[in-house]
Amino acid sequence: MDKIAWSQFQGLLKREVLEHRNLFIWAPVILGLLIFVIDFLIITSLAEENKIAFVTYLARFFNGGSPMEMSGVFVFPTLPFLGILYICAILYLTNTLYQDRREMSVLFWQSMPVSSLNTVLSKVVTIVLIAPLFYVAVVFALYLIGILWLIVSGLIYDVEVAGLGYMFLSAVFSLPVVYLFAATSALWLLPFIGWLLLFSAFANRTPLLWAIGSLALILFLEGFIFGSQFLSNWIETRSDIDNFLIIEFGGIFDRLFSYDMLIGIGIGSIFICGAVYMRRFVD
Amino acid sequence: MTNIVEARALVKNYGNFKALDGVDLTIPSGAISGLIGPNGAGKTTTLKALIGLCDVEGELNVAGRDPREARHKLMEDVCFIADVGILPKWLKVSQVIDYVEAVHPKFHRARAEKLLSTTEIPANKRIKELSKGMVTQLHLALVMAIDVRLLVLDEPTLGLDIIYRKEFYDRLLNEYYDGNCTIIISTHQVEEVEALLSHLMFINKGKIVLDAMMNDLAETYTEVIVDPQKIERADSLNPIHIRELLGKKCYTYESVSRTELESLGECLTPSVADLFVAKMKETRHG
Repeated sequence: MDKIAWSQFQGLLKREVLEHRNLFIWAPVILGLLIFVIDFLIITSLAEENKIAFVTYLARFFNGGSPMEMSGVFVFPTLPFLGILYICAILYLTNTLYQDRREMSVLFWQSMPVSSLNTVLSKVVTIVLIAPLFYVAVVFALYLIGILWLIVSGLIYDVEVAGLGYMFLSAVFSLPVVYLFAATSALWLLPFIGWLLLFSAFANRTPLLWAIGSLALILFLEGFIFGSQFLSNWIETRSDIDNFLIIEFGGIFDRLFSYDMLIGIGIGSIFICGAVYMRRFVD
Repeated sequence: MTNIVEARALVKNYGNFKALDGVDLTIPSGAISGLIGPNGAGKTTTLKALIGLCDVEGELNVAGRDPREARHKLMEDVCFIADVGILPKWLKVSQVIDYVEAVHPKFHRARAEKLLSTTEIPANKRIKELSKGMVTQLHLALVMAIDVRLLVLDEPTLGLDIIYRKEFYDRLLNEYYDGNCTIIISTHQVEEVEALLSHLMFINKGKIVLDAMMNDLAETYTEVIVDPQKIERADSLNPIHIRELLGKKCYTYESVSRTELESLGECLTPSVADLFVAKMKETRHG
C-alpha cells in the first residue's frame, strides 16, 4: 500500500470512529463506569475485616503465579464488554452504509477519490480490528483503577501487596487475548458481518428488517422446498458462543487457521463483495 | 480547443420514467458551462452520470476517463458540490478538513484555511450547527483548495439568501476560476448565472434542447418586436416562440438571417431567460 493509499485508509478509519463514537467509545465507557460504580458500592458496603480478607485473598492468590497462565481469570469479566460490542456491531453494520444515503451526505463521501471497495473494507477493518481496541482500552482502564484501589487498600490495612503486582501483570497479559478473541470472533462471524453490510448498502429503509426478513425467507424456502434445515443448523452452530469463545493464545491460532474459519471468511467475503457492488451502483 | 466532457446518447430509466432520453453533450475545456432546465428535467441525473454516481447507457468520456469504470480515479480531477445539505452534519469543520486532507492528494490545507479565515465559520463547530450559507461557504472553500480539472456544481445555491448566492458566484469567479479548469453549473435560476457563462445547455424531459457557446447565441437567436402590419410575414418565418411585450408581439427566431428579420421590426438579442422560456415552450409544444 503506497503512502497516499495508506493516508486515505487512515482517513476512512478515523471517519468511522468519529461517526460512530457513541458505539465504539461511549458505550464501553458507560458500561465500564456502571461496573465500577456497582463494584465500588459492593466493596464499600463490606465490613472492614471482610475488606482485609478480600484484599489478602487476591494478593495471595496471584502471588508468584505466572501472569501468562493466570491471565485466563481476567478473560471472563470482559464478557459483558464483548456482549455490548456485539450489540453495537449489529447497530453499526446495519447503519454504516445506510445512514449517509438517508441523509444524502453519501454525495459528499463519493465526491472524494475513494473507491467503494476501500469504503466498505474500512468498515470491515473497523469492526474486526478497531472497535475491539477501544473496548479493550476501557477494560484496561477498569483493571488499572481496580488494582490501584486494591494496592492502596492493602497498604492501608498493612497487607502484603506484592501479589497484587502479579495480579496487575495477569490482567495486562489477558488484554491481548481478549483483543485477539474479539478480532478472531469477528472473523468467525464474517458471514453475518457481510450479510448485514449487504443490506445496509442495499435497503432504502430499515436495513436490519431487510437482513432478518430475507434470512427468514431463505430459511423458510429451504424447509418448504427441500424439507431440510441445513442453513438454520449452520447458523446455529456458527453463532454458538461455545464454538468461538477462546481464553488462551493457542486456541486463537488453532481457530484462525481452521477450515471452518476459512469457509466462513470465504462466505463473508462474497457478501462483502455484494455490499461493494451495491455501494457502487445503488443510486 | 479540447473537450473535457463528451457524451453521446446517454439513457437512464427509473422504471418507466426516462430521466435521460439520449443526451448528447460536448463541453470544451476551460468553459464555464451552464446546464439549465426546469425541475425534473434531468440535470442532476446528467451531472451524476458525469461523475460516475449514476449508471447510464451510452458513450461517456470525462477528463479522459469513463466515469463508470474508475470513478475514484476520476474524482482526483473532478470536484462536485450538490445542494447545500450534503456535508455530514456530525463532523466538525476541522474534522472535515482533516478528512479531505487525508483522502485527496490534490488538496491544499493552507489554502482552505486561508479561505475559511475570511469567513465567520468556527473550526470547532459541528456542521449541523452552521447555517445553510456557512455550509455552502465551507464546501466551496474545500473545493477551491483542490487542484482539479473539472468542477461540477448541482444547484449549489439552492435555498440560500441573495447575499450568500452572490458571494458564492463572486468567489467562484474571482478567486477560483483561472481559465484552466472547467466549471459546470446546473440550475433553474437562469438570471443568477447568465453573466458567468461561456457555454450554455438547456435540458428538458431528458433531452438537450440547446447546446451553444454564449458568443454564438446572438448569431443564432433573434427576438423581433414585430410591427403589427407585418405579423403575417413574421408567422411565415417559423418563430420558435411568440410572447406579448407591452402590447406588441415579440417573436423569437432560430437560425433566421438577421437582415431578413430587421425588415419585420426592432431586432434584439434574447436574454438567456427569454431564450430558456422560448426553448422550453418549443419543447413542450413541438
